Amino acid sequence: MSVSRRVFVKSGGLALVSLGLDPLFLARAAFASYRPLPPPTASDRPILVCLFQRGAVDGLNMVVPHGESLYYRERPRIAVPASEVVDLDGHFGLHPRLAALKPLWDNKSLGVIHAVGSPDSTRSHFDAQDYMESGTPGAKSTTDGWLNRYCQHDREHDDTPFRAVAFGPQLPRILAGSAPSLAIDDLQAFGLRAPQEAARDRLTRAFEELYAGSATGLLSSSSQEAFEAVQLLQQANPTQYRPDHDADYPRGRLGRSLQQIAQLIKGNLGLQLAFADVTGWDTHVNQGASEGQLAARLAELGQGLAAFAQDLGERLRDVVVLTMSEFGRTIRENGNIGTDHGHATAMLVMGGPVNGGRVLGRWPGLDPASRFEGRDLAVTTDFRDLFGEVLARHLGATDLSAVFPGFTPDPTRFPGAIRG
Amino acid sequence: MQNRVLARLLTLAAAVASVAAPQSAPHRSALRQLPALTPHDSALHALDRLAYGPRPGEVDAVAAGGVMNWIDRQLSPDQLDDRLVAERAATFRILRYDSGDLARLYAAASEERRERQRQGAGQPAMDSLAPPADLGGKEAQMGRRLAGEVEQLAVVRAALSRRQLYEVMVDFWVNHFNVFFGKGADRVLAPSYIEETLRPRALGKFADLLIAAARSPAMLFYLDNWQSVAPGSMPPALTRPRLQARPWFGRGRYVPGFSQEPARADSQRRRALERMPKGINENYARELLELHTLGVDGGYTQQDVIEVARILTGWSIKRPQQGGGFEFHDWAHDYGEKTVLGVRFPAGHGMDEGVRLLKLLASLPATMHHVSRKLCQRLVNDEPPDGCVDDAVAAWKRSSGDIREVVRAIVRGPDFWAPQNIGAKVKTPLEFVVSAVRAVGGDPDTTPRLAQVVARLGQPLYRHVAPDGYPEREEAWVNSGALLDRMNVAVALAAGRLPGVTVALDSVALATGDAERLIAAVNDGILGGTMSDNTRRVIRDELADARDPVAARALAVGLALGGPEFQRQ
Repeated sequence: MSVSRRVFVKSGGLALVSLGLDPLFLARAAFASYRPLPPPTASDRPILVCLFQRGAVDGLNMVVPHGESLYYRERPRIAVPASEVVDLDGHFGLHPRLAALKPLWDNKSLGVIHAVGSPDSTRSHFDAQDYMESGTPGAKSTTDGWLNRYCQHDREHDDTPFRAVAFGPQLPRILAGSAPSLAIDDLQAFGLRAPQEAARDRLTRAFEELYAGSATGLLSSSSQEAFEAVQLLQQANPTQYRPDHDADYPRGRLGRSLQQIAQLIKGNLGLQLAFADVTGWDTHVNQGASEGQLAARLAELGQGLAAFAQDLGERLRDVVVLTMSEFGRTIRENGNIGTDHGHATAMLVMGGPVNGGRVLGRWPGLDPASRFEGRDLAVTTDFRDLFGEVLARHLGATDLSAVFPGFTPDPTRFPGAIRG
Repeated sequence: MQNRVLARLLTLAAAVASVAAPQSAPHRSALRQLPALTPHDSALHALDRLAYGPRPGEVDAVAAGGVMNWIDRQLSPDQLDDRLVAERAATFRILRYDSGDLARLYAAASEERRERQRQGAGQPAMDSLAPPADLGGKEAQMGRRLAGEVEQLAVVRAALSRRQLYEVMVDFWVNHFNVFFGKGADRVLAPSYIEETLRPRALGKFADLLIAAARSPAMLFYLDNWQSVAPGSMPPALTRPRLQARPWFGRGRYVPGFSQEPARADSQRRRALERMPKGINENYARELLELHTLGVDGGYTQQDVIEVARILTGWSIKRPQQGGGFEFHDWAHDYGEKTVLGVRFPAGHGMDEGVRLLKLLASLPATMHHVSRKLCQRLVNDEPPDGCVDDAVAAWKRSSGDIREVVRAIVRGPDFWAPQNIGAKVKTPLEFVVSAVRAVGGDPDTTPRLAQVVARLGQPLYRHVAPDGYPEREEAWVNSGALLDRMNVAVALAAGRLPGVTVALDSVALATGDAERLIAAVNDGILGGTMSDNTRRVIRDELADARDPVAARALAVGLALGGPEFQRQ
């Protein structure tokens, strides 16, 4: 397939959009008509990795405002002592179990956005996760997710089946929509399964021929994509993968997801967006301080991110990792030595393009007068301004209003997470 | 074109006649044998769309008895003997728990979880979207096991029931009135929602279904109406001095009881007041208009949404210990005057005005059109033909929203049988898995494993997060990863390696060394005779050096089930 044909098909698709004739089936048909290019040789395309901390992470114990006495007054049993935090700037410090990330902070490839969250006041995990993934806080009937909408509107990169990949058994809400994306539970199991390699290859070929000759419409184009993906992945040989630079991923789902994302990146398969999630942040009871429940989750997160950065080495230059969580937790500890559902939280950005080494966003303080509904950390950065900045400044998105309908991210409100 | 007009007139005549005499003999519908469709092909098409695909021999049986006879019988499911599936269903423990049992189980599991957390064993809350990382206590495990049973029960019924059209319609309503099992208490509220709210009304009057869904605890919880209150209202518990403390659904909601100790009771009351819902919640009202009734272009305004929410204030839920059933809180109801879509609801009315509103919504043309369009999308084509929608709306008007008659009109209409609509839809994961199991004479067990296969293919039952339900359009289901997964499932099923189901390949084809006979049997038994020349060639090539007839048969069946023809219906 020549480049000129690709351009033709693309502009055809765009013409349909501009006429307003873009029902889902046309949109997918337009995607489907791009034939994949050979594996991209350029290895410097920007990549975004999103990591969802499901269950609402306690931002105040992840990035501790140890310079505020109110923090200690409100959390007599779960505050992280100032002597134990990994100090960042004299006012904020990382939880001690995130110490693995300090070198990244020091070399300016790790930043923090504090007091970030949703303009919607819900304290339901379900609704808040839904809103953070749909990108439309308050609007329940949005059917697609903002990462997918980005793919729909930015078609520069959609030339490989691995453009947008979620790690997990099902496609998450954030990637739901008309643009093709993959859910991969395990990279090594992707493709047809058979006891022996020869049998597997033969079965793959048989199905490929079945679909090549008998399928019509979307079944035809999607199956072509599928078999190309299988072939690309085989070339990258995931079973032989060894992390570089002695990177040591933590055991468990998060470590495995991050390692497989690194594999895809280093395999040059055209990955642009990756998504993974990690659970266990809903610390209502016995949250712990420097040690305990939350500390264990943070240790896994810190080790995972540090191993990912180490494994990627030079390649981190083109990668941004963005953490997110549906809301934060109460400033005051509750009666069960934990925290309840709150409002704003902290998010981490890591990678070469990151404007690191600083805590970004306007800090509203813990003073009762400036709290949300009198009790929770107030949101001073709308999550869409942060996500929008990453899309625009890192991935080069041009039409953010299409990604976040009903909201126009304003560059003057961008928290400054990406180096200009 | 003229033929088509004639055909449409005939349909109308037939439909009118059939409404006049619903039990009349099937021979009276004139266009039942439309050109281009043999009795065999009509039977296959009906079984593909109004059932979860044919079981071995079923196409011939339906063709021989007359496809319209079969359809008429399917439209009266109560008269079909379904003992086999009833017996199987009886082995599911979930059906032995009523909603009260489940609500108490939920309360116990919540208490158990809090207790475990107090002891330091961290575990995500039940309303976390993610699967729980830890097995939890006995009650929580039981809750999860029962939730798995509910999913599996749907798959078993779809695979085994003789009331196939009924099961198809249940699935349609499950999606039209979607709730998400993973949202907190919905895990325990949903089973009764399926069994007691939706199933008994799947072929009844739409208005009854709408009202039942509106007052179902599962929907009230899912779309938050249970905590929608008139601004400034307060539960009696907050105005009375002391009551026993009791946990409520979820966390951080208003607390209905206080300490015996006055100072503590005061602080508890303050906290409870802080957490009290402060006003109306529009979530249910909006989806009621946008998804359940009028449709997104149904001509309502934001003000209508607010007025609908006001009318439904107080439609709430009992505490789990009291069974978690529906409860109208008059203290939370907004007794003021409201206007919805220009219709006045005078001041001073309580729960009755909600029922009046739902009946009004059920009877509006926009609702008839919206729901009819969705039915045509499910049964006829992803892009529903206008004629199909018109037929359905006409039947809706004639029958005052009798779903059975609306479906009958769609199935008797020319669009259902039009050549361009045959094989025009791609199966959803549920339809793919169940039709494959049926095609190989499969028998699913009561473990949740087959439902897990459906989930892996992208359609975890009752776990669609957004209120719009699983989509009917092929773009939602056809993508590269999902197709590879379907091929793997097909190969495993044919080889008898798919966990949770036993297969009877002998009912499709006897193992034979004669490749041509095998291919013919697979074409007939699995693909209903639709096998393309290319598929025939590929299977023949693959069989060329197969030594073992049993393995050869499994391979041929696997390729047919995983191939492109079988993905369509």
